[in-house]
Amino acid sequence: MKLIELKDVTKSFDDGRKKIEALKTTNFSVEEGEFVSIIGPSGSGKSTFLTIIGGLQTPSKGKVYINDEQFSELAEKERAKKRFREIGFILQASNLIPFLTVKNQLQLVNKINKEKFDIKQVESLLSDLKIEELQDKYPGDLSGGERQRAAIARALYHDPSVILADEPTASLDTDRAFEVVEILARETKKKKKATIMVTHDERLTDYCDSVYIMKDGVLNKK
Amino acid sequence: MFLAWKEIKYSKTRFALIIGVVVLISYLVFFLTGLAYGLAQENRTSIDKWDATGIILADESNLNINMSMFPKDQMDEVDAEETASLGIASSVIQLEEETDDDSKINVTFFGIDGDEFITPEITDGDMFSDANEVVGDLSLKEEEGYEIGDELSLAGMDTTVTLVGFTENSKFNVAPVLYTDHETYQHIRASGFGEREEEIISAIVVRTADDTLEEVSIGTDDLELYEINEFISNLPGYNAQVLTFGLMIGFLVLIAAMIIGIFIYVLTLQKSSMLGVMKAQGISSTYIGKSVVGQTFLLSTIGVLTGLGLTLGTGLALPNAVPFQNNGLFFVSITTLLIVVALLGAFFSVRTVVKIDPLEAID
Repeated sequence: MKLIELKDVTKSFDDGRKKIEALKTTNFSVEEGEFVSIIGPSGSGKSTFLTIIGGLQTPSKGKVYINDEQFSELAEKERAKKRFREIGFILQASNLIPFLTVKNQLQLVNKINKEKFDIKQVESLLSDLKIEELQDKYPGDLSGGERQRAAIARALYHDPSVILADEPTASLDTDRAFEVVEILARETKKKKKATIMVTHDERLTDYCDSVYIMKDGVLNKK
Repeated sequence: MFLAWKEIKYSKTRFALIIGVVVLISYLVFFLTGLAYGLAQENRTSIDKWDATGIILADESNLNINMSMFPKDQMDEVDAEETASLGIASSVIQLEEETDDDSKINVTFFGIDGDEFITPEITDGDMFSDANEVVGDLSLKEEEGYEIGDELSLAGMDTTVTLVGFTENSKFNVAPVLYTDHETYQHIRASGFGEREEEIISAIVVRTADDTLEEVSIGTDDLELYEINEFISNLPGYNAQVLTFGLMIGFLVLIAAMIIGIFIYVLTLQKSSMLGVMKAQGISSTYIGKSVVGQTFLLSTIGVLTGLGLTLGTGLALPNAVPFQNNGLFFVSITTLLIVVALLGAFFSVRTVVKIDPLEAID
C-alpha cells in the first residue's frame, strides 16, 4: 500500500526577476514498510521536497497523497491536523521541547489529543529504543545520539503512517549516526511506516530500501 | 496549561523574577489603593455614619458647609421624614494640662441634638448629657491617648470641655470629630462670629425611607437641598484627592499589564524557533496560543495574589496614624483588572505565534 504518493508535483518560486524551479515535475511514492533515502548537495531541492510531502508548503502544481488521502489541497488548518496525526518529524536540531522531560514530550501528544496518558505504552516504546532509563531527563541532559533516539520516540509515539527525517544524523559521529539510522530502519519495518530520510551522507544509505538522488530540482532513483 | 506549567517549573529563576516584578507592582497598586481609600474615608466617615439621603445648606454657601449658617428655627419649615440639625465649627483642642504646640489637635465640632438620627453610637463611655460635655472620635484615644474624663481646652476660648465618651469612624476633613450639644456648640461657634441672639446651625440632615429627595420640601429660598453624595464630592479637596489617586492607580494597572505583556512577548520571541518546530509537527497555533495565555494567567495570578497578600499583611502591621484601609470591592476589582489587562497583553504574543512559519524550522 502506498502511504506517500506524489503526482506531477512541481514547485517554483518567483523572486521578482525570474522564476526558479525548485522542484521539477516529480512522480514518487513510498510503500508501507519502505525506508527511502534522498541524497544530494545542499540547495538541490531536498528540503523543498520534504516540506511539500510534510504539507508545510503546497506544490505549485500536482497533488500529494498521504495514506490515500489528498493532502496538498486541504486548508492550512486541516493540513496541520492531518500532519499531527499522520506524520512524524525528525529534524536535524531535534524536534524536542527543551523544557519537557522525554516522558513529558510524549505525554504532550496525549494532552493535545485529549487522550489518557499510558505510561506502559511510553515505557515499551522507550525500551524499544533503549532509552527507557532516560524518561525523566531533559533534552539538554542527553547526548546527541540519545536525543535523536528520543526524537524518534516522539515521532513514532502517535503512530503516524509517515516518518520524515531531515538530516537526522547531522550532529552525530559516525557510530552514533549508524545506530540512529539502523533504529529508524528497524522501526519502519516493524511498525509498517513509510519513511523518508534526507541526508548528504551516502554511507548511511546501506539500510535503505531505495535511494534517490536530488539534483537541481530533479529526483532520480539511484 | 501543561506546557505553560512545565516551562515555569523548568525555568524557575526566570519565571520567579517575572513573578517578582508582578508582585512588586501589584503590591504598590494595592497599597496605594488602601491608602487612597483610607484617606478618602477620613474625609467622610462622619458623614457616611449618618446614612443620610440629603443635606440642606444655606443657599449662598456654595455647598461649603463651613460657610453655611442659618437660624435653627428654619427647621420648622422643612418637611421630610427625618431631619436632624447640625452645627459645624472647626477648632483646636489641647489637654488642659498641656501647653506645648505639639499637643494641639485640629478637630471639628458637630453640634447635634441628642435625640435626632445623626446622633452617634457610643462605643466607649457615655453620651453627653450636660453642657460642655463632648463625645470624641475613637482615634483620639488610639492615636493621641486621650481618655474619658479628660478636660480639653479650646484655642482662643476660656472654656474647657469634658470628654465623656468615644464613637468609631467619625472623621471629617481628615480630622477627628467632637460631638456636643447645641448649647455648647453655640458658644464655641460664637467665639468666631460674635454672640447672636438666635440659635445658629450649619445644616439640616435629611433621611427618607425610599432614599430619594422627591418628597422633601424646604419651604424657603434661603436654603438649598443637596444629595448627600453631591455634598461629599464637594467637600474641600475631596474630589481632587480621589481623582489624583485614581489616576495614579489606573496608570499603574496599565503599566503592570504592559510589563507582563512585554515579558511574555520577549519570551515568545526567544522560543520562536522551538514554536516553529512544534507547528511543523502539526501542533496548532490555537494550542500554543492557549498555552501562552494560560502561562500569562498563571504568572499574573500568582503575582497579583502575592501582592495582595503582602498588602493585607502590611495593613495589619501599620500604625493607626497611617490612613490605610482595606476595601474588599476595590481589591477584588483591581485583582481582576490586573489579570484581565495582562491577558490582553498576552494576545500580542499569540499573534506572533500565529505568524511563525513552520517552514523555517526545516530550512
